[in-house]
Amino acid sequence: MKKEKIRRREFLRRSMSLGLGVSLGNASLSKIIRRAFFLTDEGSEISVVTGSDYFRNTIKAVEALGGIAKFVPKGAAVAIVPNSQSRHPGTFTKPEIVRAVIRLCKEAGAREINCLSWLSKDFWEATGLVHVIEEEGASLRLINREDSSQFEIIPVHRGKILKEAEIVKELFRHDVFIDLPVVKDHAGNRFTGTMKNLMALNSPRSNRSFHREDWKTNPDSVDYLDQCIADLNTVLEPALCVVDATEFIVTNGPFGPGKIIIPRKIVAGRDRVAIDSYCTTLWGMKGEEILMIRYGFEHGLGEINLKKIKIKQLGG
Amino acid sequence: MQKARIFTAKIKLKLVKSKSLCFPFWKLQAMSLFLIKVLILFFLSSPQLLCSAECPLCPFLPADGEAGEWRRDGQFRSYSGDELYLYIDGGAEIYHEFGFRRVIVQDYINKKGKSISLEIFEMSDSESAFGIYTFKTGKKGSEVKIGDKALLEDYYLNFWKHKFLVTLTGFERDQETGEGLLNLARVVERKLNTKGSEPFLTSLLPGKGLIETSIKYFKGWLGLFNCYPFFPKDIFPFEEGIKGDYESGETIFILKYRDLEEAKERFLDLKKGFSESSRHRDFRLGNDERFELKDSRGNIILSTSHREFILIFFTSDSKEKERREEALSEVLEHIQRVIN
Repeated sequence: MKKEKIRRREFLRRSMSLGLGVSLGNASLSKIIRRAFFLTDEGSEISVVTGSDYFRNTIKAVEALGGIAKFVPKGAAVAIVPNSQSRHPGTFTKPEIVRAVIRLCKEAGAREINCLSWLSKDFWEATGLVHVIEEEGASLRLINREDSSQFEIIPVHRGKILKEAEIVKELFRHDVFIDLPVVKDHAGNRFTGTMKNLMALNSPRSNRSFHREDWKTNPDSVDYLDQCIADLNTVLEPALCVVDATEFIVTNGPFGPGKIIIPRKIVAGRDRVAIDSYCTTLWGMKGEEILMIRYGFEHGLGEINLKKIKIKQLGG
Repeated sequence: MQKARIFTAKIKLKLVKSKSLCFPFWKLQAMSLFLIKVLILFFLSSPQLLCSAECPLCPFLPADGEAGEWRRDGQFRSYSGDELYLYIDGGAEIYHEFGFRRVIVQDYINKKGKSISLEIFEMSDSESAFGIYTFKTGKKGSEVKIGDKALLEDYYLNFWKHKFLVTLTGFERDQETGEGLLNLARVVERKLNTKGSEPFLTSLLPGKGLIETSIKYFKGWLGLFNCYPFFPKDIFPFEEGIKGDYESGETIFILKYRDLEEAKERFLDLKKGFSESSRHRDFRLGNDERFELKDSRGNIILSTSHREFILIFFTSDSKEKERREEALSEVLEHIQRVIN
């Protein structure tokens, strides 16, 4: 089926409704828009709640940022993007965290909550997430990954390498979306968090193009991949990120099995660069060491320097 | 099952057409059908017999009852070549870098409903299997006598044997599941009737103080990058490499090249890369084409080339310069002895 390339005006209209201000290609204007929504006068702000009750702590993490109503308007159609890529322990977003986010959205008066995915249903059954989603009255909307009509071609104006993304069309039916990754090791680029998780909204075909065909011999392979991920993030901006940094693998990622560490943290915020930069420290790395985070920072997507990030630390 | 039904129907037809039988026809028909059903059940309980032609790895799957009370749960899945991306997505590349052929995945369950996932990866050769084994295993864990090498870590077990890597993952962390991992692993190991050998490069790591479980063998940039993020770009591509950590706190990387000329060329690229890197500092040239510098974590890095190899030596700030140089020289001497 012929891919539909939407016109710029229509794209902008849809982008603004999704809080995609950065896609305008105007760094100053996008900064203003971003500041209006989630940056305090002091700079980037994230919340970190530590403790064993992951459900309760998820709620606490969002409350610490001002509450769910700040991110989800009443009557909104909300898309959520948890990670269900593998069923091995420490590789997928915990069901309690997904459950808490759905309940928060309902509390905010969301008219519908949908989990969007081009993974097949077995992936969601294997992790148990499909049951949580359905129990809480949300829906799992599966996208046929082979059907190109289910994806919309979006220009990436600020992309240094990626010039077009193929975004799940269903996303545009929603008013806001919430990024729900699990942080973990990744053999491709050593870290996955909020920014890499958004590849779940980009078509598998486009994602494969982030890997050079001659990746085995091309010296730019990792650099290329990470720049593409950062570029993708310039056209997708979640209303909120709620990150599972509770129990996750730090070796053999993203699929596992691997060594699991248990910091028991829920991290929330809107600044993806800040969140990812903070999360790298949980297993001894720095944001600057991860190319994707560095390139996200260079795109103006957020703050990489932890000293400039306001981190609200709470016990659970 | 479809093939079995067709086969049964054909037998029925032949029996009906037969005119030469003296034995009561209905008895013969019943006995034949009974025999056919028994044979079908026999084949179904032994996946290796039914599907080995279409599924080369099926013969290695434990049948029901072979590993105590653990029995197959659901149908197996198999992926070969690029299909691995469907199973592991972005995590597939490291397998391809080592040389991946195919994988089979089968779940097992016991009477109490505890679950174990079994993955058998067939790699291109023994060295590749060893390499992906070192990639997937950590420093901690218990070495067990299964295969060519095996490590039981927390809730999962990896072992390699010849060109196969086997991974078993338990979904509960209890003694029963732990024993299940070992039992299933031993059954698979018996079926893999072959033995592998470690790459020659492993012998170049000095043995004294070496933490065996820290060894990483790699065949490309991704493997190296996962050990230490040298640079964003692969500026000194190699044929194969190895890394080992030592009880003294040191780490040795040995990278192999085609020949002396190539090693020298790449060494110059490495030297340039480090000297221009914003993440490294205090770059200094030493004796005999060596250089030294520091990284952002406070590691001192020394490097030199020797024959078709490049050595990169990590040590701590606390060691004096002379002692560092001495340690690197000891490694070079060891390599020379092994090669000679």
